[in-house]
Amino acid sequence: MTLICKRKYPPSSLQTRRNLRVSHCFAARVPPQKKPREKVEIPGLEMVTYGDRMHYVPGLAKPVYPPWEMSFKDPRYYRSPPAQEMALYKDKPCYVFNQRTSILEGVRQAAWLTKTHVRPGLLPHLVSLAAKPENQLPDQDERVQNAIKHSRFWDTTEPRPRKEKYSNTLLLNLLHLCATLQPTHPAVGRRILAENYSLAATWKRGEDLFQIRGRNGLLHCSMDPLPRICGEQEVLETSDQVLESFYPVSPTIDLQQVSVYKEEMNCTGFRGEYPYPHAHTLYFLETSDPNCQLRPEQFRAKMIMFTFGNALARAHKLYGTQPQSLLERPITVQAVGTNGRIFQFLVFQLNTTDLSGDDGIKNQAWLDEDVELYDFAKVRPFIKRKEVKVPAGLAGYKPETFSKFLALYLHGAA
Amino acid sequence: MALSCLTRALRSLTLSQPALLSSQTPVVQLKLGTLVPSTVSQCRGFLTTASLKHNRAYLKQLDKYTIRPIGIKKSGGRDHTGKIRTRGIGGGHKQKHRWVDFQRLRYEPNKEGQPFEEKVVEVRYDPCRSADIALLAGGNRKRWIVATEKMQAGDIIKTSGVIGRMAVSANEGDAYPLGALPVGTLVNNLEIQPGRGSKYIRAAGTSGVLLRKVNGTAIVQLPSKQQVQVLETCIVTVGRVSNIDHNKRIIGKAGRNRWLGIRPSSGLWKRKGGWAGRKIKPLPPMKNYVNLPSISAN
Repeated sequence: MTLICKRKYPPSSLQTRRNLRVSHCFAARVPPQKKPREKVEIPGLEMVTYGDRMHYVPGLAKPVYPPWEMSFKDPRYYRSPPAQEMALYKDKPCYVFNQRTSILEGVRQAAWLTKTHVRPGLLPHLVSLAAKPENQLPDQDERVQNAIKHSRFWDTTEPRPRKEKYSNTLLLNLLHLCATLQPTHPAVGRRILAENYSLAATWKRGEDLFQIRGRNGLLHCSMDPLPRICGEQEVLETSDQVLESFYPVSPTIDLQQVSVYKEEMNCTGFRGEYPYPHAHTLYFLETSDPNCQLRPEQFRAKMIMFTFGNALARAHKLYGTQPQSLLERPITVQAVGTNGRIFQFLVFQLNTTDLSGDDGIKNQAWLDEDVELYDFAKVRPFIKRKEVKVPAGLAGYKPETFSKFLALYLHGAA
Repeated sequence: MALSCLTRALRSLTLSQPALLSSQTPVVQLKLGTLVPSTVSQCRGFLTTASLKHNRAYLKQLDKYTIRPIGIKKSGGRDHTGKIRTRGIGGGHKQKHRWVDFQRLRYEPNKEGQPFEEKVVEVRYDPCRSADIALLAGGNRKRWIVATEKMQAGDIIKTSGVIGRMAVSANEGDAYPLGALPVGTLVNNLEIQPGRGSKYIRAAGTSGVLLRKVNGTAIVQLPSKQQVQVLETCIVTVGRVSNIDHNKRIIGKAGRNRWLGIRPSSGLWKRKGGWAGRKIKPLPPMKNYVNLPSISAN
């Protein structure tokens, strides 16, 4: 009697289909790892391998060959040596701040790293620069509002432009408006905008070496340096102020530690005899990179660090890399950061390059935080319970913000 | 390299016999009037250019500590063979794993041996556990730990490995060895072997009690009233674990259980056996972890 085996096959509708759209495995668990058999090496005893026979023979050992190296140098297959074997390797690590660093303590940590005394608000003589009628644009408010409307509403074929697009357009529009004052202020013509330049500056703080490297964005550089903002007396008074410490967090937190670096790396971003060597204003925009989203505090810290970096690189070029406790001509650099609506203004004055100790003369910074240019720029009105809370279009324009922007622009020219 | 993989795979498709996998072998019952499904998957699949690291669940194979949340693949209760090992798990909201450092007494590379302090940066919800987690920043590093009940952002937390002669009056959230704490303190995140990392009392709202200290060892009562004897150099955190109202929450609907990744149990009525019902029995004997070799013996 023969047994009739019935094998049940899945019905055709339920056949397992291999999913070719995805090439990773679906399982979340890995099989348990088997420990490979321990290879016992007895010195002096030569293992008999199947290398000579050119095929696997059970019982003989696997031949071990020296790793193959290409006889010529091919850049496509170059493997860099480990850090310890690199030519520039040093035992002491260097802490690097780059444009993607987001430091934990924000402005306080940036102030400690750069030995700066940060004061809130801009100096009144700067702000009053834009109050003078000869420093104002004709139809200033209307033209600025048109600039905002262009960047927020008119610059796209989609319903609303994206943040990185409108903040960039707004900044360029405002710069263009400021530059229309060139006929009345000829010094404005002695400046130029530069983008994507690589900054490098090195300094020592305590026993640690710090470097700032990276591309921060838009730079307004000029042929003439900015005048000093703060008198000598106040500069000497900064030596009495104490830097804020934030124990137990170390000031080097969140900075990238590198062991392979070039000492004394100082570069303003331009080579040789560049006709516009003095950095006037830096313009910072928020990046669209999802990995480095900076909160407002960290954004302001980045502004301080890069402004300081530009000033320090210039100081090293003018006065040499030896630390100097008081510069006879302090270097002033300005910075403006924006996210399309909210502006941060910074004026930085580098008084000293002797940053190793915590006492002595400090650098100064005046920081105006979170200045809004307008309240709302809605494409569609915000309606709650059948009431229009915020109408469509531009709402809540504040003219003082643009006058501060213009004042920083004209500083040194008016 | 990716292109060569692709060309190799495509070449193998054309030249050799297509590899028929047994699970895909179709046996079509031909009936009069039905159409035979002509497109039978007889092709051998091949790997495309996706990075090979996504070939494996690599959550547990990372070696460098990071505070960045790591994506996890849901297992659905299945093991590496694909069969269900644990019933009732599947679906639920996507979760990212935040690597919690359970070894509280972890010194920074150059600062061995000294008690240190850390600052709490934020306390937040963790989808992977019932307790909340806290981000600590100290020295040059940041790490996640299980938060205690009254921990808030801005607190300073101390961790020490020193056992003094007098018992320390510990604040909540600090971590000390058992020998340094006074008897009767509420503790959590208990290590049973020094240096191994905490394995017990980590759930929301739980706490153990330090019962007594007996020459070189300490006896702790776990939340299940089981008593455990461990070396007094094991580090514990003081206080109750955060999210104390976790056991009072009301699920409310079946959908909320599904969001948590809990699949319904089978509705089949089964007679309950000897395992069911309330049991009143004496406490099990005290578990002694002292004579086992500790990590320092290796």
